[in-house]
Amino acid sequence: MGERVRSALLSLDWILILAVGLLLVFSVHVIDAATVNDVPGSPNFFTDRQVLFTIGAVIGGIMLAAFDITRLQGMSWVLLGGLLGALAVVFVLGTTVKGANAWIDVGPFNLQPSEMGKVVMILVLSALAVERMAEITARRTTLFLVAVAAAPAAVVFLQPDLGTALVYGAILTAVLFLAGAPWTHFATAAAVVVGALVLVLGILPASGVHVLQDYQVERLTAFVNGDRDSGKAGYQLDQSKTAIGSGGAVGKGPEEATQTINDFLPEHHTDFIFAVIAEMYGFAGAAGVLLLFGIILWRILRLTARAATQFEQIVAGAIGAMIMFQLFQNVGMNVGIMPITGIPLPFVSYGGSHTVTNVAAIGILLSIHRRRAGL
Amino acid sequence: MTRRESNRRIRMLGALVMAGVGLMALRALWVGGVRADALSTQARNQQERTFAVPAERGIIEDRSGMQLASDKPTATVSATPYLVTDPADTAAALARVLKVPAKDIESKLRDGGGYAVIAKGVEQDVAKAIRDEELTGIDVEDTWTRYLPQGRLAAQVVGLVGDEGGQGGVEAALDTELTGTPGVREISRDPLGHTLRTLHQKEPVRGTTVRLSLDSATQLQVERILAETRKRFGAKSASAVVMRPQDGAILAMASVPRFNPNDRTRYVPELVRNRPSQDIYEPGSTFKIVAIAGAIEDGKVTPATRFNVPETITLFDRPLRDSHNEGATTWSVGDILERSSNKGTVLIAQRLGAEAGKAYLPGTPDSDRRLSEWITRFGFGSKTGIDVPGEESGRIPDIDKYPEEWSGTSILNIPIGQGVLVTELQTARAYAAIANGGRLVTPHVVAKVGGRKVEHPAGRRVISWKTSRKMDAMLRKAVSAEGTGSAAEVPGYDVAGKTGTANKIDPKTGKYSQTRYVASFVGYVPAGNPQLLIAVTVDEPQQQSIFGGDVAAPAFSRIAQFSLLRMEIPPA
Repeated sequence: MGERVRSALLSLDWILILAVGLLLVFSVHVIDAATVNDVPGSPNFFTDRQVLFTIGAVIGGIMLAAFDITRLQGMSWVLLGGLLGALAVVFVLGTTVKGANAWIDVGPFNLQPSEMGKVVMILVLSALAVERMAEITARRTTLFLVAVAAAPAAVVFLQPDLGTALVYGAILTAVLFLAGAPWTHFATAAAVVVGALVLVLGILPASGVHVLQDYQVERLTAFVNGDRDSGKAGYQLDQSKTAIGSGGAVGKGPEEATQTINDFLPEHHTDFIFAVIAEMYGFAGAAGVLLLFGIILWRILRLTARAATQFEQIVAGAIGAMIMFQLFQNVGMNVGIMPITGIPLPFVSYGGSHTVTNVAAIGILLSIHRRRAGL
Repeated sequence: MTRRESNRRIRMLGALVMAGVGLMALRALWVGGVRADALSTQARNQQERTFAVPAERGIIEDRSGMQLASDKPTATVSATPYLVTDPADTAAALARVLKVPAKDIESKLRDGGGYAVIAKGVEQDVAKAIRDEELTGIDVEDTWTRYLPQGRLAAQVVGLVGDEGGQGGVEAALDTELTGTPGVREISRDPLGHTLRTLHQKEPVRGTTVRLSLDSATQLQVERILAETRKRFGAKSASAVVMRPQDGAILAMASVPRFNPNDRTRYVPELVRNRPSQDIYEPGSTFKIVAIAGAIEDGKVTPATRFNVPETITLFDRPLRDSHNEGATTWSVGDILERSSNKGTVLIAQRLGAEAGKAYLPGTPDSDRRLSEWITRFGFGSKTGIDVPGEESGRIPDIDKYPEEWSGTSILNIPIGQGVLVTELQTARAYAAIANGGRLVTPHVVAKVGGRKVEHPAGRRVISWKTSRKMDAMLRKAVSAEGTGSAAEVPGYDVAGKTGTANKIDPKTGKYSQTRYVASFVGYVPAGNPQLLIAVTVDEPQQQSIFGGDVAAPAFSRIAQFSLLRMEIPPA
């Protein structure tokens, strides 16, 4: 028995666990400091909830780490059906938060199925890709996987939650990439995406058809013109940069982070938490967070190369791509080089569903790592 | 896919990770390092505000400490229009509390911009009601508003206060002293402009208190008597000065009709003037003391010197008669002043000549030149120096600079107060010189600034003590039963003084009007030991009488009676 525990513990990727753990603990601290004034009379409102989310997420992660995820390989259609069902329920009955109809009320908390959907999509797409590995270079395989991803992504996009829909896109790309889809497919897809962007942002609005909501267009384009006071998104970006800039090299400390605690920086505990860290702990703090993400991604890619099965390899790589995409998108938005799409920073932003989802992904990685170590 | 291709793709992902993380870090370094100073400044600019904390203006009080002007705490309601999300609702809420039309406020809010004043001088309870509404984009700032607790009382002397400080009166004269030193408050604020906390505060310092020589009770009584006089005689306006002849300290200085200084919406410039120092008019008979005192001082006549006064004096074909003309008669100088004879005064003026050992240039008669000197010596044609701004200096024909203004027949009108323009205060000062033994004092209303007495010049001598006593004796007779000023008598007291009734120039014809007059009386009590100099001027009395002896003398009597009691001055 002792021997089994010992080998189980030894088979874990402790570097990955340490890096994620540090981020999760730091997250609680930053959320605590950033939200002291947000709920009058209840300075720990968000802190308490985030602690609960984190504990729940870690329990879920441990369970997944102990679970053999290859047992899900044959259940692609069940998982996909479940996800689509949950998304449909939300779409009809869900609660609207900040304009997006993406949440289901579960007691005191809201559940956001589109977040869980990220991991589900990774498992489903990876399994389906492995099933069709023999003809992975065929055009119809790529189109098939695009079609599978498109159904939930379309629902999420219509909620409307553009950011999460984009994450689905990143996951699909990563799965195709790691499964071995040919370069020509990616080139074609890139051309289609660019064409669609021109159509959606330029030609269609000019002719009176609005695919994106006005706020979505504004958010997507605010970082390009960078004007002050150019609407809400321009204001957010401006306040984010002001927060990072006023943090300087080592920051102003949690109590003097006035951009954050006096509410000049909106969404400081969710979308703009990276700017909060930079204001409180300066470039040093921001670089520290980036370093931890660098370590996490290094460990994930290392595992990807060493996975026991191709299914696990694609899953691990897609998880890495998902975290990487969210990191770049979120931090890029905070520092003003990416459009504003409401994507949280994994392990750091406030929020139950995405914390549970990202920690679950880490649990899956540990499961993959355990099996690799067993070889 | 081959294992090699698979590993190649994973390495490419690794490269992407390194490139991405590196790019993010570089960008964070750019924003948080290179641009840190500019962005820190930007953060401070939007999070902190420095305000001037208005200082309370100094109090203006009367001689016994009664407040005539003080500041009361009020608020200024302003808007940051671009922060107002619902102009209609916000305007409605403000209009309800401020009791003004919502439309006006809403248009200000809709005009946009960074700052708009909604209301000034808002009372504290109203300000609190607005604060309680917690309207986004609406600021309520504490400030002070000038308030005259006594209302109309002495408002023309006290003056008004506008955005730029004192406007007229003592408020303007001592604006520097009255203005306090504003404090400074640095606050941190939230994005909606709400104050979060005070970072630094320097308290404002109240302005210096100014004490006037005015006596509120006397002032009130004088204003009432003037108002009644004006009403009774249907006059356009009336004014009066009560002054201590020894030093020029003014106990009351009044102009009617009055105005409400606390209601700035009905501002009439005409009513804000301090008439005794700012209105000029032809004085008429009160001016006769200049020629007579001059002739006595020069030794040309004595009160007893007798003149053969013809029925009509004619000079260059221009005739001169008295208003109650009598035939040829013989009158002493005293008789002439008592009866206010125009012909007699001119005869006395014509006796004037160059001082011993002094010769005038040829051109105009020596009498005219000497008369001109006496007018100047008595202070006419120049400001008295009173500490209420806006004083007029009047207008006296300058015999040296503009000889053409002083014609051959000027000696017929100037000695009797025609063709000269003076202020009531100048006349009061000339009479004060007779009352106080010969010194021309500086009239003033400011007694103390910040508890320290303000020194006023003692005044230069214009006539000898002896001449002043001779004038005093004659002016007493002018108020006797035979004199023109008998209505100025005060029971139990000896009064000295002189009436004046002057035709006004009709602005349309440029000639003397036969319906518009200025009736006046100047005198002092008690005559043996003069304590109070009182001048009363009534502009354009229209009914009952137009004569100074009928219109102004009774007002003088009533003012004197009250002031003597109030100042507890016993009969000499």
